[in-house]
Amino acid sequence: MIGAAYAAEDAGHGDGHGGGGTGLPDPMHQFEIKRLIDLDAFGFDASFTNSALFMVIAAALITLFTMLAMRKGALVPGRLQSMAELSYEFVANMVRDNVGTAGMKYFPFIFTLFMFVLALNMLGMVPYSFTVTSHIIVTFALAAFIFIGVTIIGFWKHGIGFLKFFVPSGVPFVMLPLLVVIEVISYLTRPVSLSVRLFANMMAGHTMLKVFGSFVVALGLLGGWAALAFMVAFTGLELLVAFLQAYVFAILTCIYLNDALHMH
Amino acid sequence: MAGAENQSGRSRGGRDTDAIRQRLDALGGKLSTAQGRRPQPPEDEKGRGQAMGQALRLATELVAGVAVGGFIGWALDQLFGTAPFLMVAFLFLGGAAGIMNVVRTAKAMQGEPMPGHHLRNATDDDED
Repeated sequence: MIGAAYAAEDAGHGDGHGGGGTGLPDPMHQFEIKRLIDLDAFGFDASFTNSALFMVIAAALITLFTMLAMRKGALVPGRLQSMAELSYEFVANMVRDNVGTAGMKYFPFIFTLFMFVLALNMLGMVPYSFTVTSHIIVTFALAAFIFIGVTIIGFWKHGIGFLKFFVPSGVPFVMLPLLVVIEVISYLTRPVSLSVRLFANMMAGHTMLKVFGSFVVALGLLGGWAALAFMVAFTGLELLVAFLQAYVFAILTCIYLNDALHMH
Repeated sequence: MAGAENQSGRSRGGRDTDAIRQRLDALGGKLSTAQGRRPQPPEDEKGRGQAMGQALRLATELVAGVAVGGFIGWALDQLFGTAPFLMVAFLFLGGAAGIMNVVRTAKAMQGEPMPGHHLRNATDDDED
């Protein structure tokens, strides 16, 4: 997948911003992976790319934000400390409501996940930046990690009894083989729907932004105002989507965790 | 202006203080009715964001079921060499799994209380 992106980059390097002959910029150009530092780890291409750079920026920003905000640890919080406490409370309530107090053991992971996805989505809204979550390989890696981890937790808590999760209760014996297969497929869809949802929303949104942004330029001083007004509203919507998708990602992780811990 | 009145009231004693207190009560009443009207839009906005999140959740659920079912069928076909048959069967099974997921998610959405429900006063009822 990354290899294909590199090939596309090499092929389209000549015309750079000018896709086709229409004069409109290529809306997919923003998703290109660029190697910043070439690295070759035992035959694997482990180059430091612009995607990796923005992940590092996001991680650094979150660490800086929480550490700076809680540096004083005042009893009556200031503005920055309020923000940190608010995000803590938000995620803690999410975990408590969806998993129960037993899930608070996994709070650090959910908090990290939520803040990371939120930071990546929000960084994507900054002009000239790169939206890491618009690549399905990134979101799928996150979702697959969650899926495998949650399954391991399920087997660890319930032993082989976790397999009962795939056997619906109160069903005629004849129907069981069919329903178990459907249940297993339903379980396997989790990482796919989790990753596709985030990736599709981010990529579609940013493509739309780029397309309408180019309309503003193309229509010029006379007709560009309508497109510009739409852009302003749509940017607001995109900010909402950026937050909402991080929230949905985190809350679904909570729901899957709840299934693993309590089995329905 | 209020400061000046307050000062004069304090200097003249009890009678003016009573008048000021009366005005303050009237103002407080007006303020509370105004505040009663105001928090409605943010609540509505929040509900709309919530609903959008749920809608986005449901949409991918169905598609993912069919896609995963089709992929499993295709992989099993490659394994056993039973060209298209398993893929067709698993596409339907995947569709069933997708619909089951959607129904389950919708049920969970209906059951779970809206976030922030405990913040509302006990006195005001839900419209629906």
